[in-house]
Amino acid sequence: MGPEFVQAFKYLAAGLCMGLGAWGPAIGEGLIGSKAIESMARQPEMANTLLRTMIIADAIDETTGIYSLIVAIMILFVV
Amino acid sequence: MFERVGKDLVWRFRIGPITLALNPATLGTALGISLLLVLLALWLRRAIPKDPEAPPPRRLVLLVFLVDFMENQVLGGTSEKLRRSLLPLIATLFLFILACNLSSILPIPGMVAPTQDLNVTLGLALLVYSLTHVYGMRTKGVFRHLKGYLEPIPVMLPMNLIGDMGRTISHGFRLFGNILGGAIMATVSLPVMVELLLRFLGPILALPAIPIVGIGLTFVLNGFFGIFAGTIQALVFTLLAAAYIQAATE
Repeated sequence: MGPEFVQAFKYLAAGLCMGLGAWGPAIGEGLIGSKAIESMARQPEMANTLLRTMIIADAIDETTGIYSLIVAIMILFVV
Repeated sequence: MFERVGKDLVWRFRIGPITLALNPATLGTALGISLLLVLLALWLRRAIPKDPEAPPPRRLVLLVFLVDFMENQVLGGTSEKLRRSLLPLIATLFLFILACNLSSILPIPGMVAPTQDLNVTLGLALLVYSLTHVYGMRTKGVFRHLKGYLEPIPVMLPMNLIGDMGRTISHGFRLFGNILGGAIMATVSLPVMVELLLRFLGPILALPAIPIVGIGLTFVLNGFFGIFAGTIQALVFTLLAAAYIQAATE
């Protein structure tokens, strides 16, 4: 196993890590957004509170995606 | 071609057994942004008329908009008393992070957004974390605040501590990851686009196409990752900071 193999598998691992890691947060954020829009359409006077809650929920939902981004960056540039 | 991303020149000091690393680009940009924000604050403060009957200057609208946005949007879920004492901190955090994120779109060589540096974002997250303890102890008393870690049953103490740690780390990493990811995308996309154009159009057709596509791509990437994502992430960071501090006082 030469260094070329290590390099190739590093790129493969970073791509897989980011792709699979972005999958879950994408579904979650889609659900959060659709539910928030439904609620806003039902109760427009609550839109400000809902928007704030939606952004916080999105941010927490995004955390695993950010972790996989950090891991991918570490695989590419640090390891 | 990507090896240099995030690895700018770093000054290292050695004090006894500890090695300290300092990134002068981050430090300089952060200090410059702080200076700009102080000047902006002084300039805006002069807009408040001494005589309430006098016609207000136009830049007062910006000040009123900022304070109103902070009070009603970011701190909308907090109690009246907490809102008064949190407003300066939250507004400063928001403006500083927003200015840091927006500084990434300026085409100044050697200048990086300070929020691309994990030290800056984790430092801000740790600041917010220590403030949750300060506010929790101030409103509930030291004993009741520490007793909150034994809820609902004392066995949950390690879980609560790990939860605190994960919350703080993800708070810092979220801002860092978003801004660094955007910067990497903006850096990497242009060479990749040039390479693709050369490969699929051939050198003769690609030569006039590269400037057009390149300028358009720069606008789109900086607009999305720099302005849009930067504003959203600054808002997210401050919203979460307000939510964490507010949760500690309940």
